[in-house]
Amino acid sequence: MKLVVAVIKPFKLDDVKESLKTLGVHGMTVSEVQGFGRQRGHTEVYRGAEYEVEFVPKVQLEIVVDDAQVEEVTTAIVDAAGTGKIGDGKVWILPVEEVVRVRTGERGPEAL
Amino acid sequence: MLAAAVTYVPYPSWLNPGDNTWQITAATFVGLMSLPGLAVLYASIVPKKWAVNVLGMMFAGFSLVMLSWFLWGYKMGFGVPSVGHGVTQGVSGIAQANDETGVGWVKHFFDNLIGVPGPALSPQAEQGQAVSGANTIIPFHFPTASLAYFQLVFAAITPLLFLGSVLGRIKFLAWCLLVPLWSTCVYSVDAFLLWGGGYFSQEGALDFSGGYVIHMSAGVSGFVAAWVLGPRLLRDRQHFLPNNLVMAAVGAGILWLGWNGFNGGDPYYAGASAAGAVVNTNICTATGLLTWVALDAWLSKEKKPTFLGAVNGMICGLVGITPCAGWVNGQGAIYVGLICTTIVWVAWNFLSKVRPFSKVDDALGVIYTHGIAGFFGGLLLGVFGDPNMLEYGCGHLDAAGQVIATTTTQYATGSSKCTPFGVDGLAYTGSAHQLWEQFRAALWVIIWSALVTFLLMHLLKLVLRGVRYKDEILEVGDLAIHGEEAFPEEAFASRVGIGVGASGSEEVFENEPSPPDDPVPSGGSGS
Repeated sequence: MKLVVAVIKPFKLDDVKESLKTLGVHGMTVSEVQGFGRQRGHTEVYRGAEYEVEFVPKVQLEIVVDDAQVEEVTTAIVDAAGTGKIGDGKVWILPVEEVVRVRTGERGPEAL
Repeated sequence: MLAAAVTYVPYPSWLNPGDNTWQITAATFVGLMSLPGLAVLYASIVPKKWAVNVLGMMFAGFSLVMLSWFLWGYKMGFGVPSVGHGVTQGVSGIAQANDETGVGWVKHFFDNLIGVPGPALSPQAEQGQAVSGANTIIPFHFPTASLAYFQLVFAAITPLLFLGSVLGRIKFLAWCLLVPLWSTCVYSVDAFLLWGGGYFSQEGALDFSGGYVIHMSAGVSGFVAAWVLGPRLLRDRQHFLPNNLVMAAVGAGILWLGWNGFNGGDPYYAGASAAGAVVNTNICTATGLLTWVALDAWLSKEKKPTFLGAVNGMICGLVGITPCAGWVNGQGAIYVGLICTTIVWVAWNFLSKVRPFSKVDDALGVIYTHGIAGFFGGLLLGVFGDPNMLEYGCGHLDAAGQVIATTTTQYATGSSKCTPFGVDGLAYTGSAHQLWEQFRAALWVIIWSALVTFLLMHLLKLVLRGVRYKDEILEVGDLAIHGEEAFPEEAFASRVGIGVGASGSEEVFENEPSPPDDPVPSGGSGS
C-alpha cells in the first residue's frame, strides 16, 4: 500500500476528486494548507499598509491506495490538477506499513 | 357634588410629539453607531487576538459615560454656568459679559467655561421641558430626558472613537478610569464652550454636530494618549491584519446611516434643517468615499481600490460634514467631502512619515480620519456656510394664514424683526469672520484636549503604576486579559465539571439517558 500526497491548486479539487472517483478510489482526506514553492507569494494592503504574504493557499490530498493502483492514481491527479502554469503543486508517494479500519478492526488492503 | 374634571395631558403645551419622537429616534441611531457600529468596526479591523478586548472596552466605556453623564456630566455640558461676580444673567440663564476688554475678557471666558456639575435623575430633570444655553433662539419642544439622552450618545461615542488610538496595549482598568475622567474634564468643557452657551458659542463659533467637540477632540486626545502609552508590540505592528472585513462592513454601514441621527438630530426639531442636514451628510459621505477609492486606485503604490480605504473615505466625509451639516447646501457638501478626504488621504500617506506622526503609534489612525477631517470640516463651515440654509427660520403669513419660510435676503428687505439663523460663509458673503471664529475655537479644542489628556494619562500612570500591560500579556491578547477568544474552537474545549473525564463535581441533569452498555453498530455499509 502507498500513501499518495498531493498539494494542488484549491480550485482544481473538484476535478481531481471526480477523476479519482472514476478510478474507484473510495476515500480521501483533504486539508486546506499554506505553502510556497517556486510560485511567489503576493502582497495585501490593509488601510494603506502593505503586507507580504509568502505562503499561498493550497489544498492537500492524502489517499492510501493499493500498490497496483499507484501509477494510475498519480497520473490522474497530475492530469486533473495541471494548468501548465507555475504553482500547480506537487505529488509525492510514501510506503504505508499498515491500515486499520476503526469500526471493524480489518487490516491491510481490505481496510481501504 | 361634582368633582372638578381632571384632564390627563400626555402632551404638555410645550411638547411637540413629532419633535420628541425624532429626538429620541435620532438619539437611538447615534447610540447604534457606538453599539454595535463602532464596536464591531474596530473589533473586526484589529487582529483576532485583540477583538474581545476592543469589544469589552467599547461596551464598558459606553456604560461608564452613561452613568457619569447622568450623575454629573450633563449639567457640566448643558446646565447653568459657574457664574462669577460682575456677570449678568441673560434670559436663557447664560452669563452675558459686561465688557470685552482686558481682565473682563479673561473673566468672561472663565465664567462661561463650564456648567455646575449635578445629577439629572429627578422626575423634573427627566420630564420637565428641556432648557439649555444650547438653544436660545426657539424653546425646546421636548423634555430634558430627550435632550440629555441625545447629548449622552454623543458624549459616549467620543472616547470610544479614540479607543482606536490606544488599543492593543492599554490596561482595561486604565481605560475604565480614563473614560469618565476624560469625559468630565475634556468633553463636558468643550461641549459647554461650543454648545452649552459657553464662551465660544457666545463669540459665534459653530459646530453643528461635533466636528470639533467630538471628532477633532477624539483625534487629538487619542494621539496624545497613544504617545504617553508607547507603541504596541513590534510583532503586533508587523502583523496588524483585520480579522473580518465583512463584519467591518457591517460596523461601517451602521456608522454611516446612524449619522442621519447624528447630524439630523442637531437642529432639535423635526423640520427642514434636519432633512437638509441628513441629505448633506449623505452627499458628503458618498463624495468622500469615492474620493478615497479613486485616490487609492490611481495614486497609491498598489493602485488598487481597497475596501478599507473606502471606509476611511466614508469616515472622512462623515466627519467633515459634521460641523457644517445643516448650514451648507448640497453643493457645499460635495466640496467638503472632496477637500476633507483629499487632505486626509495625503496626510495618511505622507504626513504619517513625518515627526511627530511617525513617532507615535496611533493604532487605527484616529488623528487622521477624525482629528484632521474634523479640523478642516470646521474651517470649511466658515467658507461654505450658506446664509440661506436656515437652521431656524422665520416665516411671513400669507393670505391664507400659512407660514411661508423666507430667505435671509428677503428678511433684510422686509420689515420683520425676526432674524433667521444661517451661517455667513466666505464663499457666499466674502466675509472671513466665521472662518476666524472657527479657527479660534479649533485652536482651543486642540490645546485643551491635548493638555488635559496628557495630564490624565500621567495621573493614571502614577496611580496604576503603569497604564500598559506587560509584554507577556500583550503577546497573548484577549485570552490573557479576558479569558475569552473571539473565535473559540469548540472541538478542543470541554466544559469543566461536566461529562467524562471532567474534574470536580459532576453535573447531572434530571432524566438524562444513561449511555448504552452495548454500542449499537452504525448502519453504514461500504468499506
